[in-house]
Amino acid sequence: MEAARRDPAEFDALYRRYLARVYSYAYYELGDHHAAEDATEKTFLAALTNLHRFGERARSEDGDGASTFRVWLFRIARNVVANERRSLRRHLSTPLPDDPSIADPLDVERDVVRRDEGRTAWRAVGRLRGDRRRALVLRFVDEMSTAEIAGVLGRSEGAVRVLIHRALRSVAKDLRAGEPPAR
Amino acid sequence: MTVLGRDAGEIDALVTDRYLDSLLAGRALLTDAARADGEPGGLLQGAVRAVSQRLASDLPRFHPSFRFEERLAIRLAEAAASMRLPLAAGGEAQVHELSIRPGGFDPLAVLPDDEALDPLAHPLLLRGAVAASAISLAGAAWLAWRRHGTSPMSRAARAAHAMRAPARTVRRGRA
Repeated sequence: MEAARRDPAEFDALYRRYLARVYSYAYYELGDHHAAEDATEKTFLAALTNLHRFGERARSEDGDGASTFRVWLFRIARNVVANERRSLRRHLSTPLPDDPSIADPLDVERDVVRRDEGRTAWRAVGRLRGDRRRALVLRFVDEMSTAEIAGVLGRSEGAVRVLIHRALRSVAKDLRAGEPPAR
Repeated sequence: MTVLGRDAGEIDALVTDRYLDSLLAGRALLTDAARADGEPGGLLQGAVRAVSQRLASDLPRFHPSFRFEERLAIRLAEAAASMRLPLAAGGEAQVHELSIRPGGFDPLAVLPDDEALDPLAHPLLLRGAVAASAISLAGAAWLAWRRHGTSPMSRAARAAHAMRAPARTVRRGRA
């Protein structure tokens, strides 16, 4: 991080490290590969040109593994994606790609089952509103801690814990409703 | 309020959070085995535990195409080089921000939950706006009628008034 701030050319290491995570987050939020690429590009360009505004303020409650740069980067990503959503006037419907996972040619049957389960879970998460959906994506897909998510969403840790708990109950209810009735 | 001033919802959320920490750190089996012993996993609602495991294993992760990755890497390298130019030329360290802020958008601003701005999520606001518009239209019609103007609005207002007046007369006549 310090190297990148001294010499912007060093930013490439940070870019390679966080690209997939930022892209995944954008894709979950926008549901479209092109829109996710646009948002990812804007996020990294904004991060690069605003590096001088980044302050490494480690908080004890963030834990050992917490990265304040990651929180800062995802806060930018969240704002960029929110701006994209507003400008596109699109309400989330999470259209699914034809193939959300890499197929394993040696185990087609298991792959199909996993893909279906992935789609169902993804749809249930996509039906959540606003920060509930974002909190789950950041927790499960980007594997952030509650403290980091609190930093990204600008909420307290307690509020994020409650947000995630309620979101999980909501998804559980949604998935139960979608299951065929037990005989 | 129950334990240490926390309500039941906060305690459930805390238990879920601890379970997720274990689950995502790959210690789910340990947590599940410990739940019979009264560990935090044991207090967790079954439905929340099941859906947590499902999301942890089933939610797909995405990666952009290699072509996109390399194209953006080049763009970032160019941007980084343009940021270093003033320094290399001996000028003052001035960071030139790229024009990536459509409409004055600040990527570092603290934004509220964007869906809080969704008009569909605020029927009260919507109804208020409709009511306000109706009041404004009624006010404009009344003003147009009072001023005896020659605009289409005032002609329409007078015509509407003229149509109602005879009806009242007829009713009075019958009474």
